[in-house]
Amino acid sequence: MSTAVQNIISLDRVIHEPARLILMALLSSVASADFLFLLKQSELTKGNLSVQLSRLEEAGYIEIEKTFRGKIPHTEYRLTKKGQLAFEQYRKSLGSLFK
Amino acid sequence: MNEQIDHAIKGVRGYWFVDGFTEIATGGLFVVLALAALLSGSSAPSTLPAWFLSAAGVISLVKLIGILAAVLLLWWLKDHFTYPRTGFVKGTRLSGSQILTILRNVIFFLLLPIVGLLAASLLVASVGPVVATMPVWFPVGLGLVWAVLFVLAGEWLGLQRFRLIGIMSLLAGAAVGLWQLAIGLPVFPAKMPLEISQPVVLESIHRVLTSLSFLVLFTGLVLIVSGVLTFLHYWKENPTPYGEQV
Repeated sequence: MSTAVQNIISLDRVIHEPARLILMALLSSVASADFLFLLKQSELTKGNLSVQLSRLEEAGYIEIEKTFRGKIPHTEYRLTKKGQLAFEQYRKSLGSLFK
Repeated sequence: MNEQIDHAIKGVRGYWFVDGFTEIATGGLFVVLALAALLSGSSAPSTLPAWFLSAAGVISLVKLIGILAAVLLLWWLKDHFTYPRTGFVKGTRLSGSQILTILRNVIFFLLLPIVGLLAASLLVASVGPVVATMPVWFPVGLGLVWAVLFVLAGEWLGLQRFRLIGIMSLLAGAAVGLWQLAIGLPVFPAKMPLEISQPVVLESIHRVLTSLSFLVLFTGLVLIVSGVLTFLHYWKENPTPYGEQV
């Protein structure tokens, strides 16, 4: 099997889905972000965003922290170490495909 | 695909500037600093050390209080205006090695050429004549350095308007330099009698401060205009907090 074919097969399918890919890209460049930020930047619907975030959390790629900003409940999302490594690996694999 | 991911990442990096508040605060700080420098320069004590200490003291105090006030104001504005409309984001913290790399690059790319040029000038002339040319060259050099920094920052943050601000800084630096040239200040170090060297140094440092103040003032005004336009655009796009939208 050629390296190119291996690279395509080994692409992380959790990240490869476009909606999740954009969420991983957004979270990769910040320490954490809230739901509204991800909603505005990704232009997904609320329902779709919730589903995709849950899927990424199940895969262990993001973690959720519930805090308070003043008296208002606030939920922040951040990439885990595993998520960071998976995203870096995904980008490397993707880059090597088009060389 | 990787380019599209990079584009999304750049958009996030530029989020801090999405509402224009950072430019308005920075521009305001520049304007206050420039006015403080111009005022402290106009009431100059007779001796160079006394004047230098007075000017440096005023500028440092304004800088310290101004930065603190600007940061507190920015936090408040972001918290009450931006985050309820387009969301909250916490930036990544720079590691120690990243800070060291940035510092090393700043020293390497900004300070070394300046020191090199000064050293080269000193080889061909004495201190006084070199200082006498500084009101012409300093604003040009600083305008150029700011232009490069704005363009690089714009590239990294994905903000096209920073290119324009960079070009404006470059033009402003050149204009201030030309203005100093037009009032008769030398462009190249020339030999001058030693007995007039000290007053020339004092006068030249005054003029450097004045010309730099005008450059800082102009750049501050450009930043404020850019920030206000960005804010108006942001407000039009996001008139009400997200929770209150129907």
